[in-house]
Amino acid sequence: MQVKNLISTLWRSKLILSLVVLFFAASLISPVDSDGSRIFLESGNLLNILRQVSITGILAVGMTLVILTGGIDLAVGSVMAFGATLCAMLLTLDESHNGLWVSGLGLGTVAALLISAMIMAALYPKRTSIDSKRPSLGLTITIPSILIIVCVSAAVYYFFQQQNNAPIVIILLSVISSCALLGGVSGLLVSKGKLQAFIATLAMMVATLGLARLMAGQDQSVFPIYSGINVSESFDVLRQPVWGIPVPGLIFLSVVVIFSIFLNRLRLGRYIYAVGGNERAAFLSGIPVDRVKIWVYALSGALSGLAGILYCAQYQQGKPDAGAGMELDAIAAVVIGGANLMGGKGSITGTLIGVLIFGVLSNILQLNNVDSNTQLVLKGLIIVVAVLVQQFDWQKLITIFDTMKKSKD
Amino acid sequence: MSVIRCLKPAFLLLIFISLNATAAEYRIGFSQVTTTEPWRVLFNKQLRKAVKQHDNVELYIADGQDRTEKQVADVRVFIQQKVDAILIAPKESAGLVSVVSEAMDAGIPVIVLDRKISGDNYTQFIGGDNLAIGRQAGQAALKLLGGKGHAKGNIVEIWGGMGSTPAHERHQGFAEALASEAGVKWVVERQDGDWKQDRAYDIMSTALRANKKIDLVYAHNDPMAFGAALAARDAKRFKDTYFLGVDAIPKEGGLWVKRGFLTATFVYPTPGVKALEQVLKLLNGEQISKTISLPTQTIDKDSVDLYLKNHK
Repeated sequence: MQVKNLISTLWRSKLILSLVVLFFAASLISPVDSDGSRIFLESGNLLNILRQVSITGILAVGMTLVILTGGIDLAVGSVMAFGATLCAMLLTLDESHNGLWVSGLGLGTVAALLISAMIMAALYPKRTSIDSKRPSLGLTITIPSILIIVCVSAAVYYFFQQQNNAPIVIILLSVISSCALLGGVSGLLVSKGKLQAFIATLAMMVATLGLARLMAGQDQSVFPIYSGINVSESFDVLRQPVWGIPVPGLIFLSVVVIFSIFLNRLRLGRYIYAVGGNERAAFLSGIPVDRVKIWVYALSGALSGLAGILYCAQYQQGKPDAGAGMELDAIAAVVIGGANLMGGKGSITGTLIGVLIFGVLSNILQLNNVDSNTQLVLKGLIIVVAVLVQQFDWQKLITIFDTMKKSKD
Repeated sequence: MSVIRCLKPAFLLLIFISLNATAAEYRIGFSQVTTTEPWRVLFNKQLRKAVKQHDNVELYIADGQDRTEKQVADVRVFIQQKVDAILIAPKESAGLVSVVSEAMDAGIPVIVLDRKISGDNYTQFIGGDNLAIGRQAGQAALKLLGGKGHAKGNIVEIWGGMGSTPAHERHQGFAEALASEAGVKWVVERQDGDWKQDRAYDIMSTALRANKKIDLVYAHNDPMAFGAALAARDAKRFKDTYFLGVDAIPKEGGLWVKRGFLTATFVYPTPGVKALEQVLKLLNGEQISKTISLPTQTIDKDSVDLYLKNHK
């Protein structure tokens, strides 16, 4: 009986275990400092790992939400790069004005959505979730929404143009809302347009890259940021350590905490699991499947925008091509974290571990100065091993132990 | 302004359609592999600027969008339009050979820029010499680390793409120059920064943890050297290290040398201006040589002011 318990505990915590095993292996093979300490285990190095994974990690959290509904979001890398470009452009406004419209539109649309949601709540106060046919909103909502979008866009445009140093909070908000908007478009395509998530987000990935390049303009492929020179130094806060922990890492950890609470405690979070587990059943039990999906993609977009801001702060530049390949890193981390690409299964904690496994692995390989090409091979291997470990039938092992025990008796 | 930019593709299309109707003396088609890298942007900008000084020349730039098949199509369009000369900055050496031959057969001279194509059925090749750049960087490193025979120090080398020829040549030249120095030690080598600032930042931040002493960083382009410098600055170890980059794009490497982020950078020259000069020579009936290798130039804090002034 004890063996059985042990195995099932192992089974449940196998993810953490694989991280722990990797961690020990890494400390064993870590190069040793001149004063005899293991470099891998130094707090500076561990915090460095946290910082290095934070951007991919934030993308992976958004990706987890999408994958939980049975979809996939290939656009996260592009949207992140879009956000980074927009952020750099808005920060260095005196050098360019192309980002204004985009940010105005982003903030404007989000404001309009919020206000029309309020109007809706006021007009139709007690809508039960059973009547899945919603009252037709028609012109009552559409026209005011468009008016609000135009007004807020114009206001933001005017505001940015008046002030050379717009408050950074407003810049960050408009970056995040523009990216959320892009995510929302993916969500609309998937839910209302009935496109397959792979196709819809592939289209968004390509289109967003193009959009970012158009926004950047032909003669500008990179927007550099020099804090204290063309950008106010307060933007540097996003790069520096607070209480010894790098801010990107702190933000990543808070995103992890917030979204695991969101997934486990909030209604929308539970709906996400329901939609991914069995979409038809979820629909029949009155869950607004389409709205859940739009939310999920919009959240993924917003998180990509946040990652874009951190990218901009960390690497002191924004460029349209920054996110190439990042969506795949994010997907890999989510899959290592135990999520099922068919949806319904997975967790933010799992994703956190997946992200850390990747981070620790590439850190220890680099500390030992392992050839980059070998690193790629080992990373591929880790993905396969991690998924194999999860697919391994541990229940079978338990029954084998049981029968062995019985035959002894 | 943004509206105008959005309409640009449409304008370009119109220009393309009316291409045959325009009446400049010389019409030159240029197939550029991509227009999104800073170096390519500079390349196009300098070429356009040079063309502006000649009233009798009209230049059409086609963006290959980093795809060989798009470049093949672009060159075919130029052949159809019977341009007077074709410039091509190819994506790769093999895939463009046949279309270049088609152009040559149609009697249109083709000047290959920056990257070579296989065989020798083209009019001229103009490009920078990455091996020489690597050597010059190696010489500079030698000087910074104490001179020939006495050089001492730990070197971090951050590669461009591991699978790319320029990266291998920039490495080879550098390694050759430092080969006989016993005091020089590579503490980080064969780490692929993929030409990217962010990747180099992460490589350097880890290298700084693994090594108490890093004397010199050599990165295969400026953004990577700058990324490494940022990582060192964030780790409060910027002052201990020399940073060498390659390319010297005025807005990037040039500026970074001026602001003290980089110790030196080495010009990887854009071949556009030279190409125009050679095309005009050719069209005026002069002979031109088969290969032109563009010289590099060291940009450090002594030469940067003049360099930036000349390349505004």
